[in-house]
Amino acid sequence: MMEQASRAVTAASAAGFRFSRVATIAWREFKHTVFTKGFIIGALALPIVMFGVIGLMPFLISDKPTPVQGTVVVADEDGSVARAIEAGFAQYRGGDESPAAVPQQPNRPSDYFPGDAEIGTPQPIEVDIAVTRVALTADLQAERARVQSGNSLAFIEVPAALLDKAPAADLTLSVLVPTASPAKTTALIERVAREATVVARVERHGGDLAAARAMLRKPSTSTSRLSARGGYAHEDIKIRMFLPGGFMMLMWIAAFTSANQLLTTTIEEKSSKVIEVLLSAASPLELLAGKILGQSAVSALMLSTYGAVGLSGLAFAAMLDLVPITTILLFLVWFVMAYLMVAAIMTAVGSAVNDLREAQSLVQPAMIVMMVPLILWLPITENPTGWLATISSFIPPCGPFVMVLRTTAAIEPIPGWQVFAALAVNAVGTVGFVWAAARIFRVGVLMQGKPPTPRELLRWARAR
Amino acid sequence: MRLRGVRKRFGSLEAVKSLDLEIERGSLVGLLGPNGAGKSTAIRMIMSLIRPDEGELAVLGGDALDMKDRIGYLPEERGLYRRMRVGEFLVYVGRLKGLPAQGLALRAAQWLERIELPGVFKSRCQELSKGMQQKVQFIAAVLHDPDLIVLDEPFSGLDPVNARVLLDIVKELQSQGRTILLSTHQMAQAEQLCSRVVLINRGEKILDGATAQVLESHAPHAVEVEPLHGSREASRLAQIPGIARVTGAVDARALVLELVDGTDVREVMAHAIAAVPCRRIEMARATLDDVFVRLVTTHGGHARHEARGRP
Repeated sequence: MMEQASRAVTAASAAGFRFSRVATIAWREFKHTVFTKGFIIGALALPIVMFGVIGLMPFLISDKPTPVQGTVVVADEDGSVARAIEAGFAQYRGGDESPAAVPQQPNRPSDYFPGDAEIGTPQPIEVDIAVTRVALTADLQAERARVQSGNSLAFIEVPAALLDKAPAADLTLSVLVPTASPAKTTALIERVAREATVVARVERHGGDLAAARAMLRKPSTSTSRLSARGGYAHEDIKIRMFLPGGFMMLMWIAAFTSANQLLTTTIEEKSSKVIEVLLSAASPLELLAGKILGQSAVSALMLSTYGAVGLSGLAFAAMLDLVPITTILLFLVWFVMAYLMVAAIMTAVGSAVNDLREAQSLVQPAMIVMMVPLILWLPITENPTGWLATISSFIPPCGPFVMVLRTTAAIEPIPGWQVFAALAVNAVGTVGFVWAAARIFRVGVLMQGKPPTPRELLRWARAR
Repeated sequence: MRLRGVRKRFGSLEAVKSLDLEIERGSLVGLLGPNGAGKSTAIRMIMSLIRPDEGELAVLGGDALDMKDRIGYLPEERGLYRRMRVGEFLVYVGRLKGLPAQGLALRAAQWLERIELPGVFKSRCQELSKGMQQKVQFIAAVLHDPDLIVLDEPFSGLDPVNARVLLDIVKELQSQGRTILLSTHQMAQAEQLCSRVVLINRGEKILDGATAQVLESHAPHAVEVEPLHGSREASRLAQIPGIARVTGAVDARALVLELVDGTDVREVMAHAIAAVPCRRIEMARATLDDVFVRLVTTHGGHARHEARGRP
């Protein structure tokens, strides 16, 4: 039956092609995709919220927290821990706890634990805490009651054995805080008490704190990667893995969201029988062009929204220099090609089937090809000038996705001839996909009954 | 509109066999035929939606593809964007048909009033009944004041009241000089509307002529009598010389006196009036329904069902 289908070629022709019709169709396609709750919430609101959070982050961070004021009671053997705790809190006075702010305090507890300092930059806290020392033989129950009544911020009980040279591993500092103690205050007291216990212990046994600190400090690394041509560049594992992936996913999501929309709207127009009304007003070519153009605007909107979020994130992390303008411009060229190819495939399939279930079987082979960049993301990022990356960048429709991975992952520019050759091959591929889609669309859009096989689709594409 | 030797084949099925048809400007022509006769295929070729395998086809002096703005088309398989608002849909189609945006919404609203669908401008298409949707689709076909209007089964699915509304508008459009080609199964409406009828069966044209002439030439050699006392008078009427058979008429109140060839109708009518008191007596008339059934059955019965995969 599909043999006859190929003969039932609709009379598409360039004659009478009018751009105003294409624009009208494109605007309807855009409007009925974008101005829907699903799209606004799913595709636009989420990144805009992310964008807002990123923009507000500096202000949130600069907002000073409530100062911590009060008294901490310390019960220890000889007062050494209480003194160290007092010294510890003293360093926070003034609202800055960075080591550089207190150079006169070489024995600051955190200096002994450089690993802790590397975890992240803590927020400055304004601290004004007085320390009262009591003996371990005093009425500790009364001190605990003072905490409960709100007269002290915390009661710290330091067992004498904790100051031994090799204390038992299961020995603990006992810290009691009131019911309403803020988590940050509790964490601060815990941290200072633990560090002060170590300071007191080292002092008791005559150790050299400065030497110990120097010996415990872990060196930072500066890694460079040698390129095949003898050059080298600074190596940042996280950026090398995630920046290309980010670019490729951005392109993938923007292209596929719109292309999927093309698939469903084409099927809807066909199944609701509105297609014949449309074809009485516009030629198949005008209809196809309008639909692809309209969804390209949707895709561009998504790309710019997500792209802006990504770039603002990089700007916030002071890493905007990782994405030169040439990379962005080239990315846009690859995006146009990728979108047109995916859109052409989806529209052709949508025109040939009667419902989404039938579309699945036809889309699957194309989807497998389109998944190649996702599967090859890591190997291509690892070796963007290798044979796998080079060959796959010349295979439409996954070529543009691969080229985006390569250009953002490469230490030094991809050879110019490869970029130009890939541009040429994928441009020809794009024209080929759109041409074939137009041929299939004009036949398939009026067809009913059994969906065609991939071979029959090829026959439609070749029909006069 | 001119079709010469137009053929269309779908595999082994020859949907349209060498169709010749010429339609003059300003005429209202009915394209009749049983299911699968090839009417919709012929219309789709006229609309340049599908290309004929053979033959010449000219619409408004050229290719329908170039004349889209001058042609209005209501397809047999019609649909709307379900979630689109009625007014928005009509404006959209109007824009595609080349109408300027300014005043288009007002024009659509006026048409909705005219077709007795006030207040649905902002309704979503899916909220309308099937008949209402059909009227919206009709507006989409005529909104842009086309010179040629092609209506494929415009009355199917409409109740008598709505069919009457549409019928009146079609007549009015024709009186304004529009050329109208309509395909229908409803012979009564075709008889009432069309100045000319074309009957196709199994892809072949089997009748083409002015409606009045077609009915005249197919009129039966019979007299229709409505006796005052009902059908019990049939036996007395059967005894009149020259009567071959007495049968019941379609309306069940009258009797049809089928005459022997060569019998003088006036003599039979005079005898009938003398024999029984009559409420009504007249020469029997043909209906398009009769003509349709007679011609289709004598030309090999109904066409086969449309093949799967056929556009």
